[in-house]
Amino acid sequence: MALLEVEGISKIFTQRKKPPHIVLENMSFTVERGQYVSLLGPSGCGKTTLLTMMGGFLTPDAGEIILAGNKVEKPGPDRGFVFQNYALFPWMTVKENILYSLQVKKLSKQEQNKRLHELLEISHLFGSENKYPVQLSGGMQQRVAVVRALASRPEILLLDEPLGAVDFQMRELLQEELAALVEGAKTTVVMVTHDVNESVYLSDRVIVMSADRGQIVKDVYIDLDRPRDRQSEDFKAYVSELTELVRQAFREKNVELQPDFVQKDVNDNMQTNFTNAYNRMSSRYTNVSHGRVAK
Amino acid sequence: MERNGSTISTDTIVKLTPGDIFDKYRGTFYSLVVVTILLIAWYFAANRIQNTLLLPYFQETAREFLTAWFDYRIMSNLALTLRRVFTGFLYAFIIGIPLGLLMGYSQTALQAFSPIMNSVRQVPIMAWVPLSIIWFGLGDGPTVFLIAMSAVFPLVINTIAGVNGIDPNYYNAARSMGASLPDIIRDIVVPGALPSILTGCRLAMGFGWMSVICAEFIATSAGFGFLMVEAQIRLETAQLYALMVMSGLVGFVIDKGFLIIEKKLTSWRFKDGFVGS
Repeated sequence: MALLEVEGISKIFTQRKKPPHIVLENMSFTVERGQYVSLLGPSGCGKTTLLTMMGGFLTPDAGEIILAGNKVEKPGPDRGFVFQNYALFPWMTVKENILYSLQVKKLSKQEQNKRLHELLEISHLFGSENKYPVQLSGGMQQRVAVVRALASRPEILLLDEPLGAVDFQMRELLQEELAALVEGAKTTVVMVTHDVNESVYLSDRVIVMSADRGQIVKDVYIDLDRPRDRQSEDFKAYVSELTELVRQAFREKNVELQPDFVQKDVNDNMQTNFTNAYNRMSSRYTNVSHGRVAK
Repeated sequence: MERNGSTISTDTIVKLTPGDIFDKYRGTFYSLVVVTILLIAWYFAANRIQNTLLLPYFQETAREFLTAWFDYRIMSNLALTLRRVFTGFLYAFIIGIPLGLLMGYSQTALQAFSPIMNSVRQVPIMAWVPLSIIWFGLGDGPTVFLIAMSAVFPLVINTIAGVNGIDPNYYNAARSMGASLPDIIRDIVVPGALPSILTGCRLAMGFGWMSVICAEFIATSAGFGFLMVEAQIRLETAQLYALMVMSGLVGFVIDKGFLIIEKKLTSWRFKDGFVGS
């Protein structure tokens, strides 16, 4: 059985005085244990929304996400989440940040120190454990964020554009660090990115999403040895193939209000769920626009 | 020495003093220059006006100011006023911080409380004097009430702002690491809002200190403010000036004290940033 199952996920955003916006419609895929999967797509394709739902911070309007047999309903330490801005607590030292998940679990000091030692080891952060996040370089902050997410030994690591705010020069260096760190931790990863190069460098598998309703354009397996050589012909071939797919995905965006119910291989049951969710949202939208507006 | 001397040699004033020490106290030096200029201006203005009721001589005021610190009556009244300020501040703190945290954290609480708070806040603090005398009589009661009243709003408002300013991802991060609501309040809400809360404390203390002097003009027959009214009635303008300078100085020292507490409690904000690429 797959570690992570995404089954018929739909998400619709409603805003006052605007038609409901279908971010994701009936999306399904699975992730095997140990896989590094990238969700690649133009901005606004719903990839971050999907990751946020995997994290449990947002509830899907239809469908469900199942991790290791359990339905995802709220955030929990079985999923390590690395935020785009890292969200390190600035008032805590590196050590306190890394050990936070163990501290709220009230593990013994001995266990905490043991785990801290392991995590500092794989992240090469020895000597910085008593520093505050502001005293760290971008790369060190990234490493702290990743090992903090790994501290509770999660089933899966969820990375939301972990290098989105880093300049081009730093980026490749940090990608190498990230690859080494994740490899060392032997964990399953789902990463959101809009950088084709990054997705090819890091992942076993790239899921390309379209800008319209987050449909899967293509599911590409990257069959390259690690560590990967960015200069190799095979690497470049993957990059140009995926670049073309993303471009295509971007062009496919069509603005339409009603959901298109004619689909290739849809599970009827899921489709009904989605239709119900859509109708619910639409009626709410209508109610709000005609009713009184609460201040 | 050599290094510092060469980097700031373009500055003409620096050449006169040992560079290292001066660099550290540059700000203090400039403010002392301004104070000295003002005092000299006062000295000459008083000599020219020749009316001690309006503007007492500088020397006389200075004498009053220096002896005041050893005057038992003045010092005991100052102590009384300070006690009132801290008591009033404490009440404001006990009410204001939890209320601010609640209103910052819960949208419902904000909607429920903010209209009433924003209207009560508009009533000038002096307008509370008659009512506070009716409620508490004369003496400590009304003054403490007025201090608490003027200190509570900056505390609440700054606490709300502090909680609202917390990055929502901090909550998400904490929840994904298994934190419960009490954990989140203790580890995220309070430390995250702390810088703003401490700014609120400084403002609240300042307002408290200002309003206590006013309250003591009217609602009591003891305290630092009362001494001022007394000096005015006795036409001892020099003493009045000295007391005013003292009240400014005491307020300044309290504020500095809070700044030190702020640096201690939120030391993470004052760490040197990462240097390098």
